[in-house]
Amino acid sequence: MQPYDERQDRDCRRNSITAKRAQWLTLPAALALVVAACATPPAAPAQPQVPAATAPPAAAEATQPPAAPQPSGKFTYWGGLIFSDVANQMLVDKITEWGKARGIEVDVVMINQNETQQKVSAAVEAGTMPDALDMGTGLMQLLAKNGQLEPLDDVFKQIGEAHGGWLESAAKSVDPARYGGSVWGIPFGLSGNLINRRHDLLSAKGFNEAPKTWEELGQMAEAVNDPPKVYGMGFALSNVGDGNLTVTMLQTWGGRIADDQGKNCTIDSPETRTFMEWITGLYKKGLFPPGVTTWDGAGDNQAYQAGQAAFIANPGSVYLNLRDNDPELLAATRFSGLPAGPKLQLQPYGPNVRAIPVTSRYKDLAKDLLMYLADDEFMKEYYANAIYGPVLNSQVDFPVFKASPIHVGLLDVAKNGTPPAFPDVDNPAYAEFNANFLIPKMIQRVVVDNVSIEDAIKETQAACQAIYDKYK
Amino acid sequence: MLHKLSPSQKVLAYACLVLLAILILFPIYYMLTVSLKTNRDIYRVPSLLLPNPTLMNYVELLGRRGFAVNMRNSLIVAGSATVISVFISCLAAYSLVRLRYRGRTWIGRLILFSYLTPASLLFIPLAVIINRLQMGNTLHGLIFTYLTFAAPLSTWLLMGFFRNVPVDLEEQAMVDGATRLQALFRILLPVAAPGLVAVSVFTFTGAWNELLLALIFTTSPEIRTVPVALQYLITGDVFRWGLIMAGAVVAAVPVMTLYYLSQRFVVQGLAAGAVKT
Repeated sequence: MQPYDERQDRDCRRNSITAKRAQWLTLPAALALVVAACATPPAAPAQPQVPAATAPPAAAEATQPPAAPQPSGKFTYWGGLIFSDVANQMLVDKITEWGKARGIEVDVVMINQNETQQKVSAAVEAGTMPDALDMGTGLMQLLAKNGQLEPLDDVFKQIGEAHGGWLESAAKSVDPARYGGSVWGIPFGLSGNLINRRHDLLSAKGFNEAPKTWEELGQMAEAVNDPPKVYGMGFALSNVGDGNLTVTMLQTWGGRIADDQGKNCTIDSPETRTFMEWITGLYKKGLFPPGVTTWDGAGDNQAYQAGQAAFIANPGSVYLNLRDNDPELLAATRFSGLPAGPKLQLQPYGPNVRAIPVTSRYKDLAKDLLMYLADDEFMKEYYANAIYGPVLNSQVDFPVFKASPIHVGLLDVAKNGTPPAFPDVDNPAYAEFNANFLIPKMIQRVVVDNVSIEDAIKETQAACQAIYDKYK
Repeated sequence: MLHKLSPSQKVLAYACLVLLAILILFPIYYMLTVSLKTNRDIYRVPSLLLPNPTLMNYVELLGRRGFAVNMRNSLIVAGSATVISVFISCLAAYSLVRLRYRGRTWIGRLILFSYLTPASLLFIPLAVIINRLQMGNTLHGLIFTYLTFAAPLSTWLLMGFFRNVPVDLEEQAMVDGATRLQALFRILLPVAAPGLVAVSVFTFTGAWNELLLALIFTTSPEIRTVPVALQYLITGDVFRWGLIMAGAVVAAVPVMTLYYLSQRFVVQGLAAGAVKT
């Protein structure tokens, strides 16, 4: 360094370079940052005249383009990209059709649901939220709590009235009493895990019916377990959303994450111990495939599609994949609801909603669109291609809910399912608890790290309480 | 070297080389074979061979899914970011290495510091800036964003290369009447060419592979770059492995070509940048 600096000094002296003259060389990079920092935000377009189009969808479809002036700027919609390309395209086409009917230029962008949270986080800060978008109720809660969503009680009521009322499950999923005093999202489909089982293998062992309890499922899994060819239990025990199925399992054993007030953790309980003995016992018997504690979100799908798992829980993507690519395995597969535990039977549903950000320039138009999208004829076709259960009474009799085995199961979830988190309280602390995958981690501590069940429960109880304490 | 070895030593040496080549090439082979399988075969026929080879993944990727547009976008973004970044960095590195002025050392450190700040911390502030500049969902917005990461790295690397070039060369040129800029562009840069190539390759590869910012700052399908397009082949818990691997093969071609053409310079450049004089 030193010899080099001496050369620099000599060089500088010889050429009499002044500081001012030298610094221009570094200006381009600095200039770009200054320009960015000083740039003024674009002026927000004025709220456009809104067409009087708040009629029910059936009527809305028939209306002529309103006489209102053309709004300035595009109407932007972020649709949730799902596995079915056909369903994705149907949504784009329907919204485009709505735009044409209303004389509005629309920009429908399908956002990968895996990235919605990141996109929305940046868009909220940058002021680039769309005029309406699809999301799950977890994100809906978060945005509503931060004042980022428009209340939609009126739209919810109108759509319900036009379609014979909301199913109880859909209504509960956006219940104002549970979620901050207003309806913040319009449900358009319920997701839920169904058990996918290898009927060909199970029937050969004499099991022709779906397992009624988790313990029965474990026995059936053990009967067909034939490693490394087939493993009985294809359930993720890793730090991914699928791994949180173990939370539902724990709750069916009578275990609870927190008390009825949703304030204090209650993981350290005899019910948790019994559940832990059951699931870690199955693991130690070799019923879970290798690597199950580090699976990604597709681990169970891949194990089943490869014919290496006898049971998995899946919301329907495996069914669609088998239907399109492996009819042979599909014929050997049966679908059923989640089994009961010793204390409870739980079948949690996951609502998907359409919401309108408070920053939307076209709030009334967006509400009109949400009603337009609830159109029965559209939803009939949409459900046939997507993997959702119904949300409205008028949708229950759609042919797909009688014809397709996975949709039959989803209809059952919609009719008889349990709300997210039940019997626990669905609050931000519970959401953070799940986001930290503490129950799968508790199992991993026993089966991977060889920690005792007792110690693993105590660790998890402490970690859980630390989360819940933040929200007191 | 090998000709000095005994036959048994040669066999051992070649065996080691073959083993190394297999280790290195296996992931590429696996990627290729998966890209040439049907969806069913990927799961149900876990063979390293190709029982029913098909180009259907490539046809769908380049046809219905318009992957060529994503390739074009990535070439524009990565190419532009590289050219602009290297140009800016040449000037900045030259200034920091050859000229003497107050705060020079601190500027050098700040440049490195800005590069070391994780993108996951910066993506929201950057999103705000990009929006204020009305460059959201545009390719030039991405180019601008990548410059904020590429220029500091390029500057830092080029400083190392420039330090290794004797200042006497430029002095000679200036004695002969060259201006400072002429000395930079006609003397220093040609001498530091391996370093420039190495920096260009790194910058291009970094921009070509970048996912997080492209994912956040672009929404329209026609603006998506290659990593974002590949990411969109994963929906929910469904990985379209055939398409993903076909996309990876196609996306690897420009970078592999670039490395192949410039490998000599890259090695020279790395060696030069690694040694201080």
